[in-house]
Amino acid sequence: MRVGIIGFEHMHATSYASALRRIPGVELAGIAEADEFRGTQMAARFSTRHFRDPRDLLDTDIQGVVVCTSNVGHRDAVIEAAERGRHVLVEKPFATRAEDAEAMLSACGKHGVNLMTAFPLRFNQSVIQAKRTVEAGGIGEIRCITGVNHGKIPSGWFLDKARSGGGAVLDHTVHVADLMRWFTGSEPTAVYAESGELIHGRGIDDCGLLHVEFDNGVFATIDTSWAHHDNYPIWPEVYLRLVGTRGVLTVDAFRQTFRLFAPKDGAVSDVYWGSDGDLGLVREFVSSMREGRKPHPDGKDGERAMAVALAAYRSSETHGKEAV
Amino acid sequence: MNLRIALIGAGTMGTVHGNALRNVRGASVTAVCDLDGGKAASVAAAHGARVFTDAGALYGAGGFDAVDVCLPTYLHREAALRALEGGMHVFCEKPLALDLAGGGEILRAAARKGRTLSVGQVVRWFPAYRRAVQAVGENRIGTPKLIRTARTGAFPSWGWQDWYGDMRKSGGVLTDLAIHDFDWIRHAFGEVARVYARRLATADDAHGDHCLVLLRLRNGAMAHVEGSWAFPAGTLFGSSFEVIGTAGQIEYDSRDRSPIRRSIADGEAGRFSLESPVCPDQEPYAAELQDFVDSVRESRAPGVPASEALESLKISLAAAESARTGRPVVLEGDAA
Repeated sequence: MRVGIIGFEHMHATSYASALRRIPGVELAGIAEADEFRGTQMAARFSTRHFRDPRDLLDTDIQGVVVCTSNVGHRDAVIEAAERGRHVLVEKPFATRAEDAEAMLSACGKHGVNLMTAFPLRFNQSVIQAKRTVEAGGIGEIRCITGVNHGKIPSGWFLDKARSGGGAVLDHTVHVADLMRWFTGSEPTAVYAESGELIHGRGIDDCGLLHVEFDNGVFATIDTSWAHHDNYPIWPEVYLRLVGTRGVLTVDAFRQTFRLFAPKDGAVSDVYWGSDGDLGLVREFVSSMREGRKPHPDGKDGERAMAVALAAYRSSETHGKEAV
Repeated sequence: MNLRIALIGAGTMGTVHGNALRNVRGASVTAVCDLDGGKAASVAAAHGARVFTDAGALYGAGGFDAVDVCLPTYLHREAALRALEGGMHVFCEKPLALDLAGGGEILRAAARKGRTLSVGQVVRWFPAYRRAVQAVGENRIGTPKLIRTARTGAFPSWGWQDWYGDMRKSGGVLTDLAIHDFDWIRHAFGEVARVYARRLATADDAHGDHCLVLLRLRNGAMAHVEGSWAFPAGTLFGSSFEVIGTAGQIEYDSRDRSPIRRSIADGEAGRFSLESPVCPDQEPYAAELQDFVDSVRESRAPGVPASEALESLKISLAAAESARTGRPVVLEGDAA
């Protein structure tokens, strides 16, 4: 099976490239990257071909592509891939505008290709175990959820709204919103949010607190912030606390760590040794193509999580509850 | 002059105050009053105090200058007003009252009678919380911008006549539990402009209440406050805070920072306990009561004037209103 990667703008591309190369029978057939230097560098690193134009990569005999352009680039890359009949795994956030998301979903539907959203937390073993426990009735019925996704502030195009579509609220909300939809089996209906540029002064929202309502009556908060400072011992911090009718469960996705002290550079780090969500994600993408079935999470999952973040931006302006 | 204190209510908090008052200088407990004479006697014993089982007899006997109100919340108003009208200084357990009308009435009585009125917003006196505020004051983390607090555990089933479970008596977690964090946040980091909240309790029933509250401060910072009685019986109580500033951050969780961790044989399952002992110099209940006693003796304002406790209660009530209406509540001044 031959798979390509469009764009190495998102740093997760390197992780997906490594994952693809670890799956038996999968060949990383090429990467498309407009930046000549980065493109040739990455092609050399992963022993594959570099294409400047994504259409040239899509015209080869690949079956699927991973899209890791900047956020606003997702729309064109996904639609071009769909039009050539290539299955797509798209980095999160799914898109930056509702109309782009709609166009992506409809193109993939029309051309009958798989569209998967990169939510690696669904492949985190601690999260999977927590989901199983909750499904088995381990805490009764879920009544409310506290969700946190804190991280450090990224650099480059992430801070340029014209290319990222938004800051921390868009970047981090989607991971947690997706997990909440997955755990509750319910759709978010309304969002209230406080957000803004509070910590770093980089010209883009870096903190957000969301209150989210689900159609089954569950309510939840999401702390979606790039608030951590440079020397915070781990990146990211993600946890869910689910309050049920018969118990409370907290799952910390990156708690499987040991602490490392390096006096030379003054660093104290919590080194994560747990499961590799990116590998599980890419494996699911490949399996869905091989088995001729739909992937999980799919494009609609990506679109719904994005809609929560977009509602949060609207609510931050209106100071009122906004429909998702 | 030694301040003579009558302690009213010898339940959970009355016992805690009774123990704390043994380490308070310049004061003595001369009377303890509780409907349950046995409870009153056990708190009174260490102080050699007289025991009363009704307020009429207590006030008839006299012999005290101040009253420490450790009754369930719904009885605060009546007890505090009676003490103030009788010319006593009053230290009242938190929350001061269940609503602004009751709180305001108590404040006005104290002002009219010229008596000291302080409230047990004790978290301000907890060593970890004090030290964190001090670190922020030393500019170790820049300007505080994002604050998270949690105060979670099992429902307090030990309350007299299950008063915690009755919304009209306790107000649920917003007025009983999260008010600790509301008070700490507004005292340490700034006044609140806007509140949005959801909770599990219904209009009457506060059993298993759980709240998730978003606060926007007037200075632009924001906070997430979680309070819970929704954990199963037997769960270890814990509190945590996280303060992220423009130049650094602080995080604390009592369950991760308890120096004494004990595994206890108890049938097949066993039990586990955490302890974080504080020396008498740092003991928060003694500290708040010492401040109250000193403020009376020195004729100065107490560390927690009732007016501040009332401001913190406003946040609890705004959160309750938001949870009821599904809309944010703007407190006062311009929102951030």
